[in-house]
Amino acid sequence: MSAAKRVQQWATFARTWHIFDCKWQDPYESANIIKKYLMGQHKPIYHPLNDCGDVVVCINSREIALRGDEWRKRAYFHHTGYPGGASWTLAWELHNKDPTMIIKKAVYRAMKGNLQRRHTMQRLFIYHEENVPEDIMKNVSSQIRQSRLVPTRLDHIPEEEVKQYPKVMDYPKDYVLK
Amino acid sequence: MAGLVKVGFSLARNAIISTSVRSIATTKSLNLKDIRECKEGSTLIVEGVTVPSPRTELLIRAENIPGYEPVVPSSKPPCYMCALGLDVKHTDVLILSQFVRTDGCMLPRRITGLCRRQQKKIGKMVTMAQKAGLMINLTPDNCKKDPRKRREHKKFNTYYDERTIFMKYIPKPLDRFKR
Ligand SMILES: [Zn+2]
Repeated sequence: MSAAKRVQQWATFARTWHIFDCKWQDPYESANIIKKYLMGQHKPIYHPLNDCGDVVVCINSREIALRGDEWRKRAYFHHTGYPGGASWTLAWELHNKDPTMIIKKAVYRAMKGNLQRRHTMQRLFIYHEENVPEDIMKNVSSQIRQSRLVPTRLDHIPEEEVKQYPKVMDYPKDYVLK
Repeated sequence: MAGLVKVGFSLARNAIISTSVRSIATTKSLNLKDIRECKEGSTLIVEGVTVPSPRTELLIRAENIPGYEPVVPSSKPPCYMCALGLDVKHTDVLILSQFVRTDGCMLPRRITGLCRRQQKKIGKMVTMAQKAGLMINLTPDNCKKDPRKRREHKKFNTYYDERTIFMKYIPKPLDRFKR
């Protein structure tokens, strides 16, 4: 085997570390994206028995965005196993307790339930803020594209730009500015 | 008795409406005004200053765009937002902030000059932007400006789907593991 082929072989089967910024991302949309990288489905050599999945580091999981009224409508079910041990936790309550749990459960549920799933989940790192430990961050060499645009707040746009932005609505002639 | 109440009610309403009209007409009408309050010593001076509209020069109208043709020369022309045909999302705060007062309240239709459908659409998108905390500098004084300081589910980021504005039945999200 030539040196170039050996490097190609090494590069094909090496694990890449991806980073994913969860800021203003829907966890259930992004779980389908993260899942592909975790299982290695983005690679042409993918096979369910081929251990070719990558590592994904999710940051800013506290800043995820749910659609509409889902923060107070979506419930997470847990049963202790004892009679009367059922409990339903709303999404915002769960996010208060552990800001990494919603994205973790979303990725877990997006994958097919087989014996490989729990091992694949071991390759997912989730952090609720931007500070990632140094030994994790030094491996990262790739970034996963976000599916939703991060909105800009009006008070973060410079005032001059807001004033000079093309206007659509003009006040009527007898309007008193408020 | 009912007639008496009705008469009293209409009298009260007339009184309110007439006073509000009169208070504006004390100065020269039909000009954009800015009400300014300044304090000199112990006297408070409130004056309505006639100001030129800051928006007239930056105004975008469909008929001024070169190459614009009205779709159908129907009897009733479309309103300016329909004519422009913009795809406005609730995150476009630079556009939505033109339709609100400084306290973040949506302007009524007689001031915006929109058609009914656009007024409803823009008004709902203003609500969405406010709930998502994207226009927190245009809010009333007693508002908890920073969404992180709000209570319970309101303190987390929320995004909205514009398709739900004119939808009677909102479809369930495609989540195949939903119970
Ligand atoms: Zn219209």
